[in-house]
Amino acid sequence: MQDAENVAAPEAAEQLAEPGQPQHPAAEPPRPGEEPSRPAGPGALEAAVGEDAEAGPEPDVPAEPAADGEEKATLGPGSSPPPPEEPPASAPSVGEASAEQARDESAEAGSEGAGGEDGGADEPSFSDPEDFVDDVSEEELLGDILKDRPQEADGIDSVIVVDNVPQVGPDRLEKLKNVIHKIFSKFGKITNDFYPEEDGKTKGYTFLEYASPAHALDAVKNADGYKLDKQHTFRVNLFTDFDKYMTISDEWDIPEKQPFKDLGNLRYWLEEAECRDQYSVIFESGDRTSIFWNDVKDPVSIEERARWTETYVRWSPKGTYLATFHQRGIALWGGEKFKQIQRFSHQGVQLIDFSPCERYLVTFSPLVDTQDDPQAIIIWDTLTGQKKRGFHCESSAHWPIFKWSHDGKFFARMTLDTLSIYETPSMGLLDKKSLKISGIKDFSWSPGGNIIAFWVPEDKDIPARVTLMQLPTRQEIRVRNLFNVVDCKLHWQKNGDYLCVKVDRTPKGTQGVVTNFEIFRMREKQVPVDVVEMKETIIAFAWEPNGSKFAVLHGEAPRISVSFYHVKSNGKIELIKMFDKQQANTIFWSPQGQFVVLAGLRSMNGALAFVDTSDCTVMNIAEHYMASDVEWDPTGRYVVTSVSWWSHKVDNAYWLWTFQGRLLQKNNKDRFCQLLWRPRPPTPLSQDQLKQIKKDLKKYSKIFEQKDRLSQSKASKELVERRRTMMEDFRKYRKMAQELYMEQKNERLELRGGVDTDELDSNVEDWEEETIEFFVTEEIIPLGNPE
Amino acid sequence: MPPWQRRSRPLPGAKGRRPTIRKWRQSPFRSYSHCCFPRVDAGMKPILLQGHERSITQIKYNREGDLLFTVAKDPIVNVWYSVNGERLGTYMGHTGAVWCVDADWDTKHVLTGSADNSCRLWDCETGKQLALLKTNSAVRTCGFDFGGNIIMFSTDKQMGYQCFVSFFDLRDPSQIDNNEPYMKIPCNDSKITSAVWGPLGECIIAGHEGGELNQYSAKSGEVLVNVKEHSRQINDIQLSRDMTMFVTASKDNTAKLFDSTTLEHQKTFRTERPVNSAALSPNYDHVVLGGGQEAMDVTTTSTRIGKFEARFFHLAFEEEFGRVKGHFGPINSVAFHPDGKSYSSGGEDGYVRIHYFDPQYFEFEFEA
Repeated sequence: MQDAENVAAPEAAEQLAEPGQPQHPAAEPPRPGEEPSRPAGPGALEAAVGEDAEAGPEPDVPAEPAADGEEKATLGPGSSPPPPEEPPASAPSVGEASAEQARDESAEAGSEGAGGEDGGADEPSFSDPEDFVDDVSEEELLGDILKDRPQEADGIDSVIVVDNVPQVGPDRLEKLKNVIHKIFSKFGKITNDFYPEEDGKTKGYTFLEYASPAHALDAVKNADGYKLDKQHTFRVNLFTDFDKYMTISDEWDIPEKQPFKDLGNLRYWLEEAECRDQYSVIFESGDRTSIFWNDVKDPVSIEERARWTETYVRWSPKGTYLATFHQRGIALWGGEKFKQIQRFSHQGVQLIDFSPCERYLVTFSPLVDTQDDPQAIIIWDTLTGQKKRGFHCESSAHWPIFKWSHDGKFFARMTLDTLSIYETPSMGLLDKKSLKISGIKDFSWSPGGNIIAFWVPEDKDIPARVTLMQLPTRQEIRVRNLFNVVDCKLHWQKNGDYLCVKVDRTPKGTQGVVTNFEIFRMREKQVPVDVVEMKETIIAFAWEPNGSKFAVLHGEAPRISVSFYHVKSNGKIELIKMFDKQQANTIFWSPQGQFVVLAGLRSMNGALAFVDTSDCTVMNIAEHYMASDVEWDPTGRYVVTSVSWWSHKVDNAYWLWTFQGRLLQKNNKDRFCQLLWRPRPPTPLSQDQLKQIKKDLKKYSKIFEQKDRLSQSKASKELVERRRTMMEDFRKYRKMAQELYMEQKNERLELRGGVDTDELDSNVEDWEEETIEFFVTEEIIPLGNPE
Repeated sequence: MPPWQRRSRPLPGAKGRRPTIRKWRQSPFRSYSHCCFPRVDAGMKPILLQGHERSITQIKYNREGDLLFTVAKDPIVNVWYSVNGERLGTYMGHTGAVWCVDADWDTKHVLTGSADNSCRLWDCETGKQLALLKTNSAVRTCGFDFGGNIIMFSTDKQMGYQCFVSFFDLRDPSQIDNNEPYMKIPCNDSKITSAVWGPLGECIIAGHEGGELNQYSAKSGEVLVNVKEHSRQINDIQLSRDMTMFVTASKDNTAKLFDSTTLEHQKTFRTERPVNSAALSPNYDHVVLGGGQEAMDVTTTSTRIGKFEARFFHLAFEEEFGRVKGHFGPINSVAFHPDGKSYSSGGEDGYVRIHYFDPQYFEFEFEA
C-alpha cells in the first residue's frame, strides 16, 4: 500500500506514457532487486538523506541503492514478468534498514499530505519537511501486524506424554516406534520422540513432540483412551499438564471475602408516594433511551441517555434491572440513578431471558461458539456476574430456548426426542440424565408449580399425548390421549390454576381443521379435563390473569367475533358473551384481570375495544391509527398503545389510555421504537389483606378524588399562569416592534408616493366606488364533443 | 375580447360541463366596496377554485385583498375575485411550472417566476406581458419591494448554475431591456427556497434549503444577519401585515416566528408533518399552517395519515386551537385575506379553497 503512494515521479510519468502497462504498482508482487529501493522513490530518497544528515555517519550508503533503485524502477515495469513473491525482508541490500525506515517515514509524510517540491505538478511529494521528527512508534503504525509477529517458544507446549505403551525390548523397539508414529502422526508432524528405557526395556511411556501446540492438543483430545489392544489403552496428556497439576497446593485456601458493594435501594421506585409506575422509551430510531414516571398529566423524565443501548432494552421480571444490549454483551442498570450494576461479556448477544426469580440471566449470541467451549447460550448469575454455564445452540428460532420453572429452581430445554431439565444453582442435569420423549413437540412450565406440560404427536397407532409431569419427582400426574391431532398449543393461566391445550384436529370423515380447547383444572384432584369445541378458525386465545375467564378471537376477517368463557367452580365452562364484527387480532388482558383490550394491530389499522368482562360491556371503541403494540402497566390502571418505528415509519408515538379507554396523552416522539413498563414484584399482601382493601375502597377513593381535584386545579392554574407570562412577553415584543413601525411611517409614505397603506382602509378617500355586475351576458358556445 | 387571456375550454374538474365565456361590462376591479359585490353566502362552505391542472405552488392576495393570484405546476397564472371565487382571467405566456407570484402594493403589476427559466412582469389589469427576464435556471421566488419599484427574484441551483438573487429597478428600463440586474447576489452553499422583501425594501429575507435564514442588503448585497433555527428546508416565508415580523414554514415539521429586523426567533409552532406554508392573521394573534406528508410518501398511505389539514395556532401561546380539513393532498400554500375574515389554501391536489371563518372563530379566546 505504501508502495503505491511512493511511486517515483518518473515512473509514474512512464506509466502514463504507456497506457498498456499496469497502472497499479501496489497490486503487483514486489520485484526482487528493486525491492528495497522501490518504495523509496525520490521523496524517500530525500527523507533518507535527511535522516542521514541528522544521523551523521554513513552518508552515502543508503542514498546509493535508493538512487540505483530508482533507475531500475523507471525501467522496471513491463520489462520483466512478475517473478514469484518474495518477502521484502529477504532481499539482501546494504541500505535495507534505512530504506525500510525511509519507507515508514515517507508513508507517514504521504498520509499527512505534505506538499511536494520535486514531485512535479501532478505528483505530490511525500517527503518530510526538514524539521520533521518521527514520533510515531512502530506499535502505533503497525500494531495489528506486529501482533502476529512470530513469537519465540520453547516448544514445551507441543510435547505430549503417552502412557500405557507396551514395554518392549530393543529388538521390538523399532516396530513399536512405527506403530506409535502411525497413530500419532495423524494429528500433526512429530518432530521428536523419546522412549525412556530401563533394564533394556522401554518404561511403558513415551514423549512425543509435535510441530505446534495445536497438534499436541488435538492428539490429547482424540488419542486419549485409544485402545491399542486388550491390555493397552493409551492415556495421553500434555506434558505441561503434569506440571500444572503437580503444583496444586494440598491445602484449601479459603476464598477471600468480597467487599460488599452498596448499590442503594434497588427497589426504591416502589416507595414512590403517588404509586406511579415507570416505563422505558426508546426513540430516535434507537439512539436515545429514556425512563419516565407515568403521570396522568405529562410523563416525568427520570433519566435520558444517548446510545444507552444498541438495539433494545429489557426489564427483569421483577423490575429490579434494566438490561441494555451492546455488541460486547449485556449491561444491567438499576437503583435510583440507573447506575451500572453488572456486566456480562458476550460478543454479539442478540437475545436474553431472565429467570423468573431474576437470579439468572440467559444470553444468546450467534457469533461465538466453538466445539469444545460452548458459548452460544450462556447462563449468568446476575448477583455475582459469573458465568454459570455455556451451551451450544443451533438455532434461536424458538426463543426462549431454556424455559424456567416459576421459582427459578429448574430450567428445561427441548431437543430432538429429549427433554433436558437442569437444576440451579449447580446448572447440572436433574438426576444426571435427560428425559427421552420421542417426538416431543412442545413443552411448557406451569407458572404456579413445578409441573411441566408437554405434548407428543401421533405416531402410527399411538395417539397424540399431552402429559403433565411433576418435578423433580418426574411423576406423570395426568396424561391425555388425543386423536387426529394436527397441532397443539399450551396456554397456562397466569397462576397455574388452569391449562388450556388448544388442539387442532382433522376428525375422520371430515374436511378441514376443527379446534378444541381442552381445559385442565390443575387445582383439583386427578386434574379433570373439559372440552370446548370451536367451530371457527381461532385467531387468538388468552386467559384472564388471576381469574377463571378466557377470551377467544375467532372467525375469518372481516367477520371476526370475540367470545368470553368462564370456567365455573363445578368445572362447567360457560360462554358468557360473544361480540361479533370485531376489528381485532390480539387480546390484551389487564394484568389484574377483568378488563381487556381487543386490538386490531398493524393490518387492522389499530382499532381498539376496551371491554369490562365482569358484565361484558364495551366501555369504549377507539383507534390508534397503525398501532403496533399495546402495553398494560403492571397495575392495570393504564394502557399504552404505540406505533413503533420498527414496524411503521410515520406517526411514531405512544398514547396513554385509562383502563376504561379514555385517552389521556398523545406522546409523539421522533422515531419512537419501544415502550416497556417497569414490572413490579408480586405484592407481599396476603389474600385477606387484599380483600380488606377492596372492602374499604370507598374510604380510599375519597382521598384519591380529593387529591385529583387538587392536582387538577393546580394544573389549570399553572397553565393559565404560563399563558399569562407568555402573553405578557409577546405583548412587550409587539409593543417594541410597533413603535419601530410607527417611527418608519414617513419613510413608508415616501416610498408609496404619499399614499397611506398602513390600514386596509386608510386610503379610503382615494377609492372610487363602482358597481360591477357579473353575468351580464352569458354566451354558450358549443365546442363540439366535450371530452 | 378582453385584453387578458381567457380560456374557452372547460375548467379542469368540470368535465362534461358546457364551456361558457363570461363577459364583464367593466373591469376596474381595483376599487370596490364590499356591498357592491353579489353577496356570497358567507356560510362556512369553502369556495373551491378549480383553475389549475397541477399542484398549486403559491397563492397570494393583493394588498387590498379583492384579488387572489394563484400559480401551479402548470404554466397558468390565475387571478380570481377573492370574494366569490370568480375567475378574472389568466396571464398566459409561461411554458413551465410557475413557482411564485407577487403583486405590487397598488396592484399595477404582477410578477411571476417559472421553471421555464424566466421571470415575467405583467400588467395586472390588461394581462399584458411587460417584461420577460430570461434566466439560466428555474426562478424559485420573486417579489416587489415596498414601493413597487424594485423587483427581486432568486434562481435555483440547477444545471450547473448557481443560486442567484437578482435585483432590477423598474424605473430604469435599460436594466430590463438588457436583462442586466443592478445587483446579483450569488448564493454558494445551500440554495434559496423562499424569500421575501424586508420592511421598507431595504433588505430581503431568504430561507435556504439547509434551514438557514439570511438577511441580504438590497443595496450592497451583503449578508446582514444570519440565523439557523430550522434543521431542514424553509418552504415559505410570510410577513405580518405591518411587516415587523414574519413566519417561516419548514420541512422540519415546525413553523417559526421571527422579528424581521433582527431575525430574532420568537415562537415555534410544532406539528408532526412537514410544514409547507404559514401565514399570519392580520388582526388576530393567529397563525395558520399548511402542510402534510410529502407527496411522494402519500401514495402508500391513506389521506388520514397524511394529515392534510390547515392548522391554526395561537401566536403567543404556541398552542393549536383549530383545524380545517378539506384537501386530499398536502397544502402547499396558505394565505390570510388582508381583512382577516377568510383565508385560502392551495394544495398538491390542484385545488384552491377560500374559507370564510365562522363566528366562533372570532369569539374564541384562550383562558388566560
